[in-house]
Amino acid sequence: MRERGIGRWVVAVPMCLLALATIYPMVFTLNVAMKSRREYVLDRFSLADHLTAANIADAWTSSGLGRYTFNSIVVTGGAVALLLLLGSMAGYAFSQLTFRGRKWLFLVCLGALMIPFQVIMVPFFRVLGQIHLLDTHVGLILAYTGQFLPFTIFLMTSFYSRIPGEIVEAARVDGSTTLGVYRRIMLPLGRPALLSVGILNALFCWNDVLISLLVMQSEQHRTLMVGVTALRGQYSDNIPLFAGGVLVAALPVIAIYLFFQRQITDGVTAGSTKG
Amino acid sequence: MTAQVVPAARRTTATRRWHVSEHKVAALVLVTPALLIIVGLRIVPLILGAQYSLTGDGERNGMFVGLANYRTLAEDPVFRTAVKNVGLLFLALPVAVAVPGILATFLFLKVPGHRFYRSVYFFPVVLSPVIIGAIFNILLSFDGPLNQLLGKAGVAPVDWLGNSNIAIFSVIGVHIWATFGMALVIFMAGFSTLDQSLLDAARCDGATLPQTVWHVVVPELSRTIQFVFVTTMIGMLTGMFGLVYVMTAGGPGGATYLPEFYIWVTQGQMNSPALASAASMVLFVVMLLVGLAQIRLIKRATKEV
Repeated sequence: MRERGIGRWVVAVPMCLLALATIYPMVFTLNVAMKSRREYVLDRFSLADHLTAANIADAWTSSGLGRYTFNSIVVTGGAVALLLLLGSMAGYAFSQLTFRGRKWLFLVCLGALMIPFQVIMVPFFRVLGQIHLLDTHVGLILAYTGQFLPFTIFLMTSFYSRIPGEIVEAARVDGSTTLGVYRRIMLPLGRPALLSVGILNALFCWNDVLISLLVMQSEQHRTLMVGVTALRGQYSDNIPLFAGGVLVAALPVIAIYLFFQRQITDGVTAGSTKG
Repeated sequence: MTAQVVPAARRTTATRRWHVSEHKVAALVLVTPALLIIVGLRIVPLILGAQYSLTGDGERNGMFVGLANYRTLAEDPVFRTAVKNVGLLFLALPVAVAVPGILATFLFLKVPGHRFYRSVYFFPVVLSPVIIGAIFNILLSFDGPLNQLLGKAGVAPVDWLGNSNIAIFSVIGVHIWATFGMALVIFMAGFSTLDQSLLDAARCDGATLPQTVWHVVVPELSRTIQFVFVTTMIGMLTGMFGLVYVMTAGGPGGATYLPEFYIWVTQGQMNSPALASAASMVLFVVMLLVGLAQIRLIKRATKEV
């Protein structure tokens, strides 16, 4: 169905305006980050006189963002690796193998989807403290794994159930063990799904602030997003420098979005059309 | 390949029995680590949390106090504001669903440049609430660009984040701005499953566009619409911490508290984990009700089919 004539232009105007409203705050921030403090005070909207990355560079060097970025990379990388490993293993079992209690165990995993972190925050904090993992990278990696594993299992199960049972059967006949099938078939054939789910999880972990605030207590262990919240107090009288810091923190995500847009939207919709 | 399947069917029972047990052991190996994490890090804490919520804080640490924490919550004006703000979220829900729904319909009709719009609209979804909050902190500050713009139009400046009657609406508005792309993409996935022949039939019968949307598209997409309602609501209940934390820190005067923020402050700053646990349970019940509504709607929808 394709609407023709004037109708589609009437529609195009609000859509254009909304697109502008969506993208303009970022453009504005970029422009502010290019300005000097004086320029910003004089006029919020004028284009920066000369393009300079000085504020971005200053924000990077003067605020410890480098250390926070390192923490974010370690924690996000660790959590995503663990999530993909455990998620694909369980997803394979739930989608392709028959064993007693399969349905029931899958329900437990899905049920955990309905427990948001906010609800278990307090006991989680205590438990992590008791096993001496508070304020450690391992602790935060575990926290993220627990948080996003149900979702990962759900997506991996639905992706893997699209792999025809015949392929698995054939491999088994060729003498492959069940775990061999995982290594030789599920992992290679599931690569697009793993990419999609991995990027989504990476975004979740990278963007999180609540869990990270709770688990990481010392300044040197802060993740990047928590670091950004601290910038606000640091640069409250220098908005361009603040904007520079915010941009530094947003850049990796913007890059990932530009490269992997399709995988991201595939991932979020895979969970919706199945229900 | 087919040639090899045949002898497999004739395997002796002995090999098959071994085969089955290898398979079961493997399934156990594959599932156990994930289950340990889910049970240990989510289900056990949930049970512990329910138990903590019935114990005391401070001097009465660990002692059973019955429902005292829940009574404290009911009398706490800050928590009441948080609950009232959840009510506002429910009121904002239709807007948060309708906007992406209408946009998705437009995109489905393939207005020029629909791919471009889709990418632009979705973009804020991938940004951290912290980044978005920080950007809007600049835009909405009292001497910030938005008020300057209003000033040029002759409107008095608005204290978007500092006025206790306005701040919560600013935060909710920013949240909707940041997340409508998500609902949009889900709607578009729903549209792609739409039966083209129904639309053709409607057109043959001479239905206008609004009639087609109302009588064909909406009923066909009822599941998608319900899904978007529930996920948007859950997103509002659990995804606004970063925004509140950065934009208003709960202020002014506690006006922008939401349950999740209340839990965090009560656990951390106030050092009252038991009270925070009680608030957690209240939030969990609200989320369960939203989730149960979803299950009921789905059941009804499947009965109709």
